[in-house]
Parts: sequence; structure tokens; C-alpha cells
Amino acid sequence: MSGEADHRWYQRAVFYEVLVRGFFDSNHDGTGDLRGITERLDHIQWLGADCLWLLPFYQSPLRDGGYDISDFFSILPEYGDLADVVELVEECHRRGLRIIADLVMNHTSDQHPWFQESRQDRTNPKADWYVWSDDDTRYPDARIIFVDTERSNWAWDPVRQQYYWHRFFSHQPDLNYDNPEVQQAMLDVVRFWLDLGLDGFRLDAVPYLYERDGTNGENLTETHDFLKRLRKEIDATHPGTVMLAEANQWPADVVDYYGDGDECHMCFHFPLMPRMFMAVRREQRYPITEILAQTPEIPDGCQWGIFLRNHDELTLEMVTDDERDYMYNEYAKDPRMKRNIGIGRRLAPLVDNNRAVAELLHALLFSLPGSPVLYYGDEIGMGDNIYLGDRDGVRTPMQWTPDRNAGFSKADFAQLYLPPLMDPVYGYQAVNVEAEQRDPGSFLHWMQRVLHVRRQHGDLLGTGTLEVLSAENPSVFAFLRQLGDRIMLCVNNLSRFAQPVELQLARLAGKVPMELFGRVPFPPIGELPYLLTLGGHGFYWFELVDLQGNP
Amino acid sequence: MDMAGWLPALAEWLPRQRWYHGQAAPASVEIVDQEIRGDRFPVLARLLVDADGAVYQVVIGVRGRDEHPEFLRGHDQAFVADVSTHQGDAITYDAVYDPELAMVILDWVAPHEHAERARVMGAEQSNSSLVYDERIILKLFRRVQAGHNPEVEVTQALAAQGFTAVAAPLATRRVRDYDVAILQPFLAGAAEGWALALTSLRDLFGMNDTASIPIISADAPPPPPDPAQAGGDFSGEAARLGAMTGGMHVALADAFGRQPADTKSWAQGIAAQLDVLETSDVDRPAAHAILDGLVDLSEAGSAIRVHGDYHLGQVLRTDAGWYVLDFEGEPARSLEERRRPTSPLKDVAGMLRSFHYAASVARTERDEYLLEDLANAWETRNRDAFLRGYIKAAGAGGILPPTPEGFELLLAAFELEKAVYELGYERAYRPDWEHIPLAALRRLT
Repeated sequence: MSGEADHRWYQRAVFYEVLVRGFFDSNHDGTGDLRGITERLDHIQWLGADCLWLLPFYQSPLRDGGYDISDFFSILPEYGDLADVVELVEECHRRGLRIIADLVMNHTSDQHPWFQESRQDRTNPKADWYVWSDDDTRYPDARIIFVDTERSNWAWDPVRQQYYWHRFFSHQPDLNYDNPEVQQAMLDVVRFWLDLGLDGFRLDAVPYLYERDGTNGENLTETHDFLKRLRKEIDATHPGTVMLAEANQWPADVVDYYGDGDECHMCFHFPLMPRMFMAVRREQRYPITEILAQTPEIPDGCQWGIFLRNHDELTLEMVTDDERDYMYNEYAKDPRMKRNIGIGRRLAPLVDNNRAVAELLHALLFSLPGSPVLYYGDEIGMGDNIYLGDRDGVRTPMQWTPDRNAGFSKADFAQLYLPPLMDPVYGYQAVNVEAEQRDPGSFLHWMQRVLHVRRQHGDLLGTGTLEVLSAENPSVFAFLRQLGDRIMLCVNNLSRFAQPVELQLARLAGKVPMELFGRVPFPPIGELPYLLTLGGHGFYWFELVDLQGNP
Repeated sequence: MDMAGWLPALAEWLPRQRWYHGQAAPASVEIVDQEIRGDRFPVLARLLVDADGAVYQVVIGVRGRDEHPEFLRGHDQAFVADVSTHQGDAITYDAVYDPELAMVILDWVAPHEHAERARVMGAEQSNSSLVYDERIILKLFRRVQAGHNPEVEVTQALAAQGFTAVAAPLATRRVRDYDVAILQPFLAGAAEGWALALTSLRDLFGMNDTASIPIISADAPPPPPDPAQAGGDFSGEAARLGAMTGGMHVALADAFGRQPADTKSWAQGIAAQLDVLETSDVDRPAAHAILDGLVDLSEAGSAIRVHGDYHLGQVLRTDAGWYVLDFEGEPARSLEERRRPTSPLKDVAGMLRSFHYAASVARTERDEYLLEDLANAWETRNRDAFLRGYIKAAGAGGILPPTPEGFELLLAAFELEKAVYELGYERAYRPDWEHIPLAALRRLT
């Protein structure tokens, strides 16, 4: 593989999102740590993921899951130290895995020394590193993101006797990117971690870096200019690094974060996720095909990051009011599941623990354009605990074995950062890695097999074109993926009932659909509509190969 | 080629075609217009023929008798006759099945369009459709009438009004005084409203199969499913469909004008249809009470050009929302009748009756008559959603009765008319479905 192509590894990769705190506790203190991840890389490698994505591991008062960083250059002591990071990175690379980490560009913790210095008075060297104001009325068009907890984007600081700007929690003041020193400081942070060996960053909350009067403070030109500058610097020093942007916006706006292929390498496709769930609930394809039709082309070398669940809530910011009501009705019958404007549930409870639906949703995730991102524990069908506060319900310990503390930690139970799930359906005695590895029919083994098949077609599925096929049956969602002369046909039944479909494939007459899990050839495509029948929530992945002569 | 010599064979062939309206072979067939395209096989012969006073468009392919074309396999009804030509023995057949001649037909209608491949869509009652490259669709009108075909006239007018939920014509073709063909964009990825409604209903009726029951108790059966809680809830679609319909009516009114409502003649028309029903079918005094109310209705909105045959099979869900198709109206009626302005609520009634049909058919599929309450709940929910969307979009257009009472009354009258028409149709063609309009009549009167 040429060096150029290898720099685009992220277009073919399957990402695996790891909560450092929740994965594995190597030192028996009740909290997962970096060394614990290193010890459990076998699992991720066996599963078939290509790149780890670590949630924040920086020094932090942990008032927002570590997204409130109080020192960009050191590790939260419970997670380990810099040497542990180096060991983890090296071990990943030795196994051919890559590793990226969360980085928060927009703000810091109010405990960060930069803020502590900035708030002292209006003249200190860092006085201008945050956004200060004498009144709290500026930028009225900027919406409040955490509507459950925040009333304003301004907070009063009694020390400096001024308001400071915060797009998220009031304990997370926004950095002032108009100050060149702030820009340089953040570039230094990026450089530091890349020198340590990280393969890239998931950039948290990028749309909000700048504020301008008369705007809503999102997606400003200045923000894009800074990201382009960042891209240029890392391309020069660390080619092959990926910048994955979290910009919770409509696809037509998100594509701006790709620039002309000179800004972020990847962006999350947020609206696709709720649409996939909705399509299965409604048993019809339009929720998905509508959003795909509204998704613009992206520049060469760029890629969507797509996911079913992640550590945050199912994001409903991007659906219309009607659809939001609908999602609430369908997925969050218990009002406790509402968080901000989203729903905090894991995949398995979200689909009523229906294995066929979980398989169908993953089949969609792995075959639609984009690089899939898995969330730790979803590969074994872990549940959630909605009675834990904030977003902790989906951050419970990884369930490794049926033993004490789910095999996650040897600490006393009371010492655990969160209790593992113990209910009869999703508890660790029923759902754990060890048991599912022993059971060849388990969901875990199914995931491993489907990821293996996906890897064999990683180029095509990662970068191939998408063409949605017409089908009179609205429950069937069929599409072609094509790269050069290689073509895959994916057919999905969104209904829980068996369904037939006739596909107009005459232009591919002569090709044989080869089913990819068993390599079973199906009848060749002819001039007549191609008839397929699918079981409830069934799906097919075919490669269209040329007709072979009889043996 | 001696096309006149083909007429006896065509007289035998016509009654086998779905788009032929007579009951038996026509007594007389005469050529109204003819054209030969091509001088070597396959040859396209294009004809307009008058069969007992009705004019049909016939496109005939001619190929050598020894060719045995693959495309005719499984389409016995397409074969017309063995004929002799100066190029030798040949067969004649319906040219729409011939992929090569399909390109000749396209070239005839729209010389600027080019396509790689063609397929013929399933048989329709008044026309034949060819789809090219899954991109454009060419509709050949089979039974043609002098004047303007409503499909051509209305889609052009709606597109000119900026109404986007219709496939605006790319090309049309007239021969003498007849519209004979229209070329439109093919709505890729579309599914019929009927299919979506049944999907929703099947999901609803299957809810009990998969619903989780928190506490198992034989004494307390689970509460009946609620359509609002069903995964396949259709009400969002129904509301958007209503909004599209309202937009269509406002655009039709803007394009063709608003006439005063003629409640008296509407009531007379409905009364005449009621007269032919059996006594037990309908509560006549109640039905006539509706019609009397209609005559007395002082503000009944406008009479406008309408779709005329509006139901779930005439609307398509696409990635860009709902589209409306087929403005030809009820094919059995005269062109003049079909173009006559009437209340827009005639279309609304047609769609609402279609909701009732969908609920009834889906319930019958499962053969569980216990589902009746659930089917009714589905219909009520989606009917309300449709009307909400409709009134929001059409309310300001000056075409609806201004009061809710007037709206209800007018709607009931047209639902009554539709149900009476349906009863006659079902008795003649689908006696198994007779119970659907009968139930509607009981409900309305």
C-alpha cells in the first residue's frame, strides 16, 4: 500500500470508542485506567476494530466527564500517567491498531490555571484568553445548548467582577480564539500529543470557537480558518493524522468542516443515527433515504463518521419538532431518559433487546457510506441504568465476566466508580464478554464475523459511491455501493415481517449476486426484475460478480 | 404495409387488452390516423383506431416470423397476428414490450431525450407506461378523446403555478386533436401511499405480538394498543399528505379559476346515485337529510378543477415528500365530466375513503375481526391528521366552506357519494369487498 493511501486509513477504519474509566481497572482502585485498556487490547483486536477513540483522560475536576480539562499536558491520576499513554500507544501500533483521543478546543475547566490567572484582573498576561464582558446581553442569538441546566451563555465571575462566556456548562469558560496566544497554545497542545504518538483527535464542540455580533456564534468563517491552520500544521509534521470533528449540525452545514479537503478529515453524521432508528420503528425506508438525499458530496479524502450510539445522548437537535416528539414517544417512554435534547440509552435497551433489530442496525451502519464508530459494550449488547445521574447511565463498567464486579475490577464493590449492571436481563451475569466468547451463536461472535466481512470490503464500503435503488415495497431499503468495477448490493428489510422486493437491475444483467457471509451464489441477474425475499429484519450483502462457467 | 388488412385481427386483439373499455369485440374498427416508422424490422406502426366510436391508440411492432423475440415470452396478450409483408412473413405485437421499439417511441415523443434501456410498467387501465433508465417515464394514452387530456393539461398547469409535488411534463405529443403521450421524470425510490398505509396498519395489528407485558396476569389483559404509540404511526405522513393535497387544490384554483359552489346540482347528482341502491343498503331519510343540509348550505366554498380520482394509490412517497399522480380522473366518465369544476372536498372525501379501505383491507388480511376497534382508531387518527394538514394548507385559499359545520357537511355529502359509487363498483367486480362501502354507508347515515 502506498504511503498516500495509508494516510487515508481512517476512510476504511472501524472505530471503537472507549471510556477509560469504564473499560478495565488494572490497579484495583475501582476506576478503569489506561493500563487496563492496554491489558484488554486483545478483545478490541479480536473483534476487528481498527482504531481506538479514547474519551478524555486529561487532568480534570470531572464535572463534565473529563470534558472540563484543567491541564492539557497531564493525565488524570486515577487513569495513570504519561508513561501509560506511551505504553498504550506503542502497544496499539504494535498490533496494527491506531488510537485517537478526545480534545476539547472550545473551552477549559474553570479550574484551569489559564482561567484562574485570567480571572484575577483585567490586565494580567492571560486577561484576554477568555471571553469577558461587563454585561450579559451580548451575542443574544447564540442558543443555549444545555437547556436543562443553563439559563444563559454568560456567567458572573465575582473575582474579576465581569461576565465570562460559556457555550456549555458555566464551569467551562470558552477560550478566546481571537487571541493569537490562545491559538498558539492550543497548537502546542496538539503537537505535544502527536509527538507522543496519537494518530489523531476527535475534536469536541468545534462549531463554537469564535463569537461575532449579529450571529448565532456557530460555524463562523474564523472557526473554519483556525481549523484549516491546524490541519496545515499537522499535515506538515504528522501526516496521516486524523481530525474528527464533532459538529452537531445539518449535513449541508457540516460539510463546511471538510473545507476543500483542507480542513477536518472526518465529521460525524449526526442526523443519520436517529433516522436509522426511526426507519426501523416505522418499518419504512424514507427516514433514511430522505437524509441521505440531503447529504452533500464530500471532498476527496474526507469521510463521515457514523454511529448508532455513543457516550452522549441520542442527539435530537437535528430532527424537526414532529420527529423529536416521535423519537420521545418511541424510545423514551420513561421521562427520565430525556437528557438535554436527547435520549440517554444504550443500543440494546433502545431496541427492546431485539437481537434481529440490533443486527439489522449494525448491518446498515457497516454498509452505508462512512466509517462506523462502535461504543464499548454495544458489541455484547450491554444495557444501561437510567437511575444513575446525568449521562452515567450509559457509562457503567464493561462487563467482562460473570465474576465479582463483572470482571472489571478487583476493588471492593463500594469502591467502584459506578455499579455494574446487575438486573436479570442486562446484568453482567447474563451479558458478558467471557460467556459470549464461549457461545458461538452470541451477538459478540456475530459482530466479529460481520466486521471480518466488512474488512474484506473496506475500500469499497469506506469510499465507494452509494446508489439507493427503487423498490415498490417501502419496507425494503436496497442500495448499491460501487468502487471502480467492484459492486456490492445491500438489501435490508426494515419490517419485522417477511417482505418481498423486486429490484430493477437489468442494467447489471449477467452479474451473479454472491452472498458475502456464506459465499453462496444467488441466481444471476437477468432482464426481469430481480426478486428477493427477506425474513423479518433480514438483510443481504452481495458482491456482484461476473457469471462463471459451469465446472 | 397494409395496415387496413390488420383490422380484423386488431378487432379480435383489442378486447384482450386491459385498457379496452368495451365488453366484447367491436363491431367496427376504422383507422383514424396511421404512421409507419422504420423501413426494416423491427418496424413501428402507430395507429389511432376508432372501435365502435371509441378511439384507441395502438402501437404495433413488426418483426420477422422466425425471430421469436425473447421479450414476448410470458406476454401472450401482446401478440396480435401473423401477417405477410413485402419483407416476408412477420408477426405483429404490442410494441411497448419491444425494447428496441421503445426507443423509437421515445424518439417520436421527445427527440432530444436519449436512454440506454427501457422497461414496461405493469398493465394500467387507460394507458401504458415505459420507464427509461429509471429516470423518465413515458405514458402512452390508450383510450384517447378529442380535446385536452386532463393529465397533460393539469400537470402542465400545476407546474406553471410552481406546485412542486407533481412530475412536470418534459414533453408531450398530440396527434390531430388527441393528446397521445406525455413524458415525465420518473420518481425514483417512490412507494405508493397505499403500500405505506398498509405497512403502518400491519405494524399496528402486530403490536400485540411483540409488546412487552410488564406484569403477567391472566386477569388483567394488556391494554389495547394505541395507534399513537405504534412504531409505524402514519399520522405524520397523513398530515404531510393533507398539506400537499391542500397545496394542490390552491394551485388548481389559481390555475383554472374558482367557480361558485353549486350545492343544488351536487345534491341532485348524489341523490340520483342513491336512488339505484337497495333499500337495505342505506338509511335513506338520513342520507337525504345530509343532502338537504347541503342544498341549504349558503357558503360552500368554491367549485374548482379537482384531481377527480384521488386515493392512496394516486400518491407517491418520495425522498422529497409526497407526490400526486394521474390527473386523468375516473376513466369511465366523459372528458367533459372529468374537467367540470366541483368542490375540492370531493378529492378529500376520496382520500379519506381510501384510509377506510386501507384499514379494512389490512384487518381482513389478518382475518381477526377483533381488530375492528383498532382499525377504526387508526383511521380516525390519520383522518384527523390528514384534515389538519389539509385545512392548514388550503384554508386560506378561499375554496373551503368557512365554518367547521359547513366543512363537515360538505365532506359527509361527498363521502356518501363516494361510498355509493364504491358499492356499485364492488358489487360488479369485487363482491368480497362489498362490506367496506356498506360499513361506510352505515357510519355516514
